[in-house]
Amino acid sequence: MLSPGEVTNVRRDDPLLPRPMAVFRQRPASGPESPSDVEVLYKVEGRGTALLAEAREGARIRLVGPLGRPFPTPRPGARVVVVGGGTGIASVYGLAAEAPSGSRSTLILGARSATDLMARADFEALPAILQFTTEDGSLGEKGLVTAPLERALAEGDVDTVYCCGPTPMMRACAERAAAAGVTCVVSLENNMACGFGVCLGCAAPRPAGDYALVCRDGPVFDASEIQWDGLP
Amino acid sequence: MSDAVDMRVDLAGIPLRNPVLTASGTFGYGTELAPFLDLTRIGGFVAKSLTPKPRIGNPPPRIAEVPAGMLNAISLENVGVEAFVEDKLPALPEGVTVIASVFGTEPAHYAEVCERLAEVPRVAGIEVNASCPHVKAGGIEFGQDPKMLGDLVTVVKRAARQPVLVKLSPNVTRIADMAKVCEDAGADGLSLINAVQAMDVDIRRRRTVLRNGLGGLSGPAIRPIALRMVWQAAQAVKIPICGIGGISTPEDAIKFLLCGATAIQVGTANYLDPEAAGRIADGIADYAREQGFPRVSDLVGALESW
Ligand SMILES: Cc1cc2nc3c(=O)[nH]c(=O)nc-3n(C[C@H](O)[C@H](O)[C@H](O)COP(=O)(O)OP(=O)(O)OC[C@H]3O[C@@H](n4cnc5c(N)ncnc54)[C@H](O)[C@@H]3O)c2cc1C
Ligand SMILES: Cc1cc2nc3c(=O)[nH]c(=O)nc-3n(C[C@H](O)[C@H](O)[C@H](O)COP(=O)(O)O)c2cc1C
Ligand code: FES
Repeated sequence: MLSPGEVTNVRRDDPLLPRPMAVFRQRPASGPESPSDVEVLYKVEGRGTALLAEAREGARIRLVGPLGRPFPTPRPGARVVVVGGGTGIASVYGLAAEAPSGSRSTLILGARSATDLMARADFEALPAILQFTTEDGSLGEKGLVTAPLERALAEGDVDTVYCCGPTPMMRACAERAAAAGVTCVVSLENNMACGFGVCLGCAAPRPAGDYALVCRDGPVFDASEIQWDGLP
Repeated sequence: MSDAVDMRVDLAGIPLRNPVLTASGTFGYGTELAPFLDLTRIGGFVAKSLTPKPRIGNPPPRIAEVPAGMLNAISLENVGVEAFVEDKLPALPEGVTVIASVFGTEPAHYAEVCERLAEVPRVAGIEVNASCPHVKAGGIEFGQDPKMLGDLVTVVKRAARQPVLVKLSPNVTRIADMAKVCEDAGADGLSLINAVQAMDVDIRRRRTVLRNGLGGLSGPAIRPIALRMVWQAAQAVKIPICGIGGISTPEDAIKFLLCGATAIQVGTANYLDPEAAGRIADGIADYAREQGFPRVSDLVGALESW
């Protein structure tokens, strides 16, 4: 079974390198050929995702995974705040969906505008307090995810903040959590080549001056393990 | 099966189950790919290049994609020879042939690693990564200067117990001359090519895509260059050659054998498909059988002239 925050590397014949994608959801098999169905949620950014979008039913797509370390499971009874932005919302979906009973999660999802937010209905069906923010105000609160995050942190009972999204967003969330003395767990999106720790291409600098491999040691990290200034 | 092809080859005194190895820097220390590939399907692997002490690499971005290839500037990052011997080798399954790759910024560093490996029976061979900048010579790669390259090979041969393959840099004018220098200095075999020096630019940020500026180009983009260099080197020397560069399919690998390579290494293709090397080994055997070659070694240099 795949866990929230785990990643697969997705590839058609072109371009050369596979594209890392978070596992959005795993479901029982829809057909006899597949042991189970893996869903990814992606945005067309460039050539790789455009070709993926053109794929017809029955097209062969190679997946390598699961890769990396998943999000730590929230403690039963703990209040967690889950923040997702951009395509990062895919990695945090499972966290809110599979939260142990008794835990309480607040889910904050940020997008540029309402039309950029993928799989909205799926998120709305989750057993979490859901808060949207959009930069243009077309859905939920106008502004960035950090405003509702700060309010949640101010309530004082937050155990952990989980976050996946653009690097500046994760950094801002990590800073807010640190200021409140709350653990923050982030899922980094560095470019990758192999995905299994051999090319050493996905290095993320650590405060000690050495490097973590996002694909092997992450993509999920305690935010205090990351030297944000050195990230590409 | 009576018509089974004999896939064994002897690469410079290193006996291999089949001619398919995986390239240094693309296969880690062997165990990383074990979940995806039965390591006994391939002839063996060349481990990430080692220095005497652990080293950390360049700041990111270290990799970028380019048409039909990728650029990398990882630099010297590795666990160091001691951790390789103590931790990495014992974690490998039995029956996997390991070739250790060595590099350094001075010949003495190469010698130090080779001396440490001399007493390690699990290491079947040494590959000398000559695409490393010689710090005292102003950063020119060892493999770019015939005198420096010859001296390096002499130093390594003195220190090493196992057969020595010298991995040539493609960033030279005449590869045949470099091949000959190595042969004359006592190299047991040659591996070629390493990544081709290259760069790319992000026009929006007006910066090079790699933090390091320059990087090494690998993948299908360099395959025809690599094939040409293997062919030229094979004409120039008698020692065996291991062909490297963009090999992604059995067909690619067969071309290198026909041009004179005794074995080949799969590099960047491992990233796209961790089973690639296994499929390539199977595909070479199929080809040899179909074409009526009882031994894969019969394919080596079997290029017909026009
Ligand atoms: C661990 C991880 C998980 C990810 N999960 C998802 C996901 O669930 N859904 C999803 O849509 N995307 C996800 N991404 C990002 C996705 O891999 C990139 O969007 C994709 O590589 C773009 O490929 P392309 O060929 O379409 O675009 P390219 O032509 O390669 O690039 C187009 C644009 O996308 C940017 N880009 C390229 N690669 C990345 C990357 N790795 N991260 C961020 N931006 C990138 C480029 O800078 C460029 O601006 C994830 C990335 C990582 C590392
Ligand atoms: C990310 C990366 C790291 C590499 N590291 C090493 C290395 O440590 N030592 C070495 O001799 N070659 C290294 N190489 C070069 C490869 O072994 C190989 O010679 C080259 O990539 C060409 O083969 P390919 O096109 O099949 O990848 C590296 C290549 C890549 C892409
Ligand atoms: S992507 Fe290759 S080491 Fe992480």
